[in-house]
Amino acid sequence: MSTEPNEPKSRARQYLEVVTGPLEDKRRWRQYKARIKRLPGNYRTAAEALERYLMLFGPGDSADALDMFDDLAELFERGAADGTPIREIFGEDPVQFVETFVQSYSVGRWIKRERDRFTGAIDRAAGEDTVGKDGTDQ
Amino acid sequence: MGKQLTEMLKGVLEGIVLAILSVRPAYGYEITAWLRDQGFSDIAEGTVYALLVRIERRGLVDVEKIPSEKGPPRKVYSLNAQGHEHLDEFWETWSFLAERLGQLREGGKQP
Repeated sequence: MSTEPNEPKSRARQYLEVVTGPLEDKRRWRQYKARIKRLPGNYRTAAEALERYLMLFGPGDSADALDMFDDLAELFERGAADGTPIREIFGEDPVQFVETFVQSYSVGRWIKRERDRFTGAIDRAAGEDTVGKDGTDQ
Repeated sequence: MGKQLTEMLKGVLEGIVLAILSVRPAYGYEITAWLRDQGFSDIAEGTVYALLVRIERRGLVDVEKIPSEKGPPRKVYSLNAQGHEHLDEFWETWSFLAERLGQLREGGKQP
């Protein structure tokens, strides 16, 4: 919360960020990691397992992916404060919870994009090409 | 809660959450607790939270942060005009589905 998000960046900083990616994103990521570290033992274990799983989905535009991790940190902080058992947070099928969860973020959109691409490829293979060349409808 | 109920619930849970919020504003934990009381005993707090995040990002609810003694502030969700519209659509779809399934069930009972 220290730097103003709209403050113009110095040229040196601009060049640096071409190489490193936005520094704000890195700062937010460190803050998220620190929040997870502060969680009580089993909440932390669960949050880290979830983080590892989400990383497998790969791309997602990073500011939006960071929103996702912030929201997850909040879920676990809230759960720990209320004493909600881990099983009640995740349910019997943790994968189903994650699938519902990622749909709101760019990580989820990335998965949806690949599903749409796959569906489009099958449409074309079936001779029912109704989708434009750029992969969008109409 | 059986596997079949879990599967069926997947498609309608968003509508259920909107319906709950149309009665009065609530936070995630309250909604999950209410669902569990109503017999949806396997409902995951995370799943309800995921739906709340989604409907918030789609602009169907207004959010107010209420400080709590422990942990982060509680986010209290209330249905806005767009949310009410979406809920009306949900109930229309539900009526259609319930009516057709009812017909199918009655048809199956005939000799």
